[in-house]
Amino acid sequence: MFDQARLNRLKERFGASLLRADMPADKRLFLYVEPSALKDICRYIFIDMDARYVISIGVDDRPFSGSFMVVHNFAFDRDHLLCSVIVLIPPDDPRVDSITDVAPAANWAEREIRDMLGIEPVGHRYPKRLILPDGWPDGVYPLRKDISWDHVPEGFDGGREYLFDEPPEGCMVVPFGPFHPTLDEPSHFRLYVEGEMVRGCEYRGFMVHRGIEKLSETVMSYNDINIMAERICGICGCVHSVAYSQAVEAAAAIKIPQRAKYVRTIMLEIERHHSHLLWAGLACHIIGFDTMFMQSFRIREPIMHMAEKITGNRKTYGLCVIGGVRWDIPLELHGEIRQLLDRLEGEWNPVVSSLSKDRNIQKRTRGVGVADRNAVKNMGLVGPVARAAGIDIDCRRDHPYAAYDRVEFDVITEQGGDVWSRLLVRAREVFESIKIIRHCLEKMEPGPLQAEIKDELPVGRMGLSSVEAPRGESHHFVITGENNRPRRWRVRAPTYQNLQGVPLMIKDQQIADMTISLGSIDPCFSCTDRLETIDIKSGVTKIWSQEELQKLANRKKA
Amino acid sequence: MNDSVIITISIGLANIVMALLLAPFCQGVMRKVTAIIQSRKGPPLWQPYYDLLKLLGKEDIESGDSPVMQRAAVYMSLATVLTIACLIPMGLSAPMNSAGDVMLLIYLLTFSGICTLLGGLAAGSTYSLIGISRQMMIMIMLEPLFTVAIIVGAVHAQSFRLDTVLDGSVYMNRGFPWSGVIMLVIMLLSFQAFVERVPFDISEAETELMEGPLIEYSGPKLAVFKYASMVKLIIYSALLIDIFFPWHGGISMPLQWMLFWLKIFCLVLLAALVAATHARYRIDQAVRFFALLLAVGLAAVVLAGFGY
Repeated sequence: MFDQARLNRLKERFGASLLRADMPADKRLFLYVEPSALKDICRYIFIDMDARYVISIGVDDRPFSGSFMVVHNFAFDRDHLLCSVIVLIPPDDPRVDSITDVAPAANWAEREIRDMLGIEPVGHRYPKRLILPDGWPDGVYPLRKDISWDHVPEGFDGGREYLFDEPPEGCMVVPFGPFHPTLDEPSHFRLYVEGEMVRGCEYRGFMVHRGIEKLSETVMSYNDINIMAERICGICGCVHSVAYSQAVEAAAAIKIPQRAKYVRTIMLEIERHHSHLLWAGLACHIIGFDTMFMQSFRIREPIMHMAEKITGNRKTYGLCVIGGVRWDIPLELHGEIRQLLDRLEGEWNPVVSSLSKDRNIQKRTRGVGVADRNAVKNMGLVGPVARAAGIDIDCRRDHPYAAYDRVEFDVITEQGGDVWSRLLVRAREVFESIKIIRHCLEKMEPGPLQAEIKDELPVGRMGLSSVEAPRGESHHFVITGENNRPRRWRVRAPTYQNLQGVPLMIKDQQIADMTISLGSIDPCFSCTDRLETIDIKSGVTKIWSQEELQKLANRKKA
Repeated sequence: MNDSVIITISIGLANIVMALLLAPFCQGVMRKVTAIIQSRKGPPLWQPYYDLLKLLGKEDIESGDSPVMQRAAVYMSLATVLTIACLIPMGLSAPMNSAGDVMLLIYLLTFSGICTLLGGLAAGSTYSLIGISRQMMIMIMLEPLFTVAIIVGAVHAQSFRLDTVLDGSVYMNRGFPWSGVIMLVIMLLSFQAFVERVPFDISEAETELMEGPLIEYSGPKLAVFKYASMVKLIIYSALLIDIFFPWHGGISMPLQWMLFWLKIFCLVLLAALVAATHARYRIDQAVRFFALLLAVGLAAVVLAGFGY
């Protein structure tokens, strides 16, 4: 528990700069602070109190409170507390002190706020465009409330090219992406290579924004967003849907029925199974070991069949509504699920034991792509990447949600911080997931699936939720709003933080290790690229210009 | 025209025809075996033939920096391996025995590697350049390894003649052939690298370099390149058999010839097995590995010099 004493210490230290402290639920803390003291307070929380940086969120709150709002979220994992540091910024000159020299992990989040809302992070060391497409005109900020969701800014210049930094002296540039056999989605790493060694890189991603957050704030309703949240990611969709629902439920103080909690837990763990097995296969494919790739996909297939049997779909389960779940896991299927788990355990056991003895794989993965404890802390790395470096964090235990406080499982950690440790962590987590599902099946009791919600949800409340996706913590932040939809919904997928750690991992490594280092965080680019207002076709070829393509597309539609 | 010329030509032609005919089949066997290890069904054994035919029928795009060199590299690559097929005994006697000695063979083997380098250089893409720099590093380590094996044989046989060296020469000595056995182990350990398969397909590494030197090849030229690499598998298997497993127990001609091809299939199976159970090594790891083998190989030459 985050005790009152520590809150008092904060109050004592910062006195009047700490405007207000709310503790609506015993596991959430909202601190309203003076803009001038923001950096000091964040430093105190991040360094002295050793909190973990989660995400920063920009909000255009002008129609409601008359000002912009910037929220920095931190997690006290051992105290089971999520904390938001909130600062209101005057609308005429939106600037905020950057906290990147305190918490380097805030790098992308602050650039995103700058791109999308035009709030300037003062003192940011690298305030380069991050999210908006290259041709987007300056001074148009898509997430501001006065911009409609289908707004097309004047002066969009499709021919404008992104200006990359100059490579360091003596280095050759090797483009990794936007398309590459080991990238499942477009993303561009510009590697600076000296001989076979990578000396640095620049990242340009966010190529497949779908404007999900803007849509949710302007067009969709609370329960529509569940469906859309699931489509953020093709692998951990259920995680996003649960995280979003929980954030709204936390904001509106809705208690969901027990059985719904168990159903959510089981589906989340089934999703973890299929994701970890998929990853193990892909990682082995990257280092040229295709046999393991094929075998792990074979072992994974029955899990997909079971998901289809339970939900009607191999993926995108359509599970959550606000206040519960849409369908049950019927008793007839329990036996079959148990059989599946036995089979999975029986098949995965020999694989793990032979993998962990394989010297050939160790040669390619040991000491490769290392992210040590410092990197994890500074870049806010999460999930298996953090656990492989010996940092014992897992939202399922630290910020219990759904039915995770009623089941027993171990949090797997390793010490190496390299690709090999990540492989071991993921491989062994599969067994913990099996344990969790078995517990759930034992403990599930009949009951309702949805909480009854009679009134409109309260307006202007904030809700936070962290869900442990297979890749790490998926964090959702919601401010409830009018018209049956949230005012602001911010998704932070685990890859958003982990990807920022990749340049550190690949520095001074062989170019051959680049692919597996990137692969070892289990990157999910679509999760990261969720924010954009217009879908502009960027497939410019020699024959078709962008405008021509657009004309063609419009003609087809008409 | 005397009889010996006709025999030479017909044996040479037989070698070429057999290599060309059976190379895709061996590839098919490899794919099938790999599939079985991976719990897959796998393509039919004839799939590589269909693949080649399909590629040959495609549009011929020359997208590299210097198309002339790209073209030359492809044809020279296939021509070189077929020339080697004319030189070495493949179940029959060495066809063009008087045309050259084992030094020519070593040059030709190096040249087939150089063709890949030229192809990559002509493509001019970053990936192909990294690919050829890796290929070069591997060649620098591998060519001496093969040369050492042949020299050990030549020292034992006191001759550079093709038919003498390529007939189990490494064991031609009194007493236990230590140097021969050492070379056999070394050649088996580096066999995957000679035939450019996992774990030593480093210069093509699909998941890192997108086929490296071959990146700008497509259609018929890619087919020819692939064909050359399939034939290479046969050639290297044949060389390994000629130097280390030439025995045929004195059986008569057609059976002896069939036994040779059976041995080739065994080596192909071995290559498939190793490829399916290993991850790709990094170039620095591979180079260190070959350096160790080379050091041991040189020791074997010294042993051979002293008659062991």
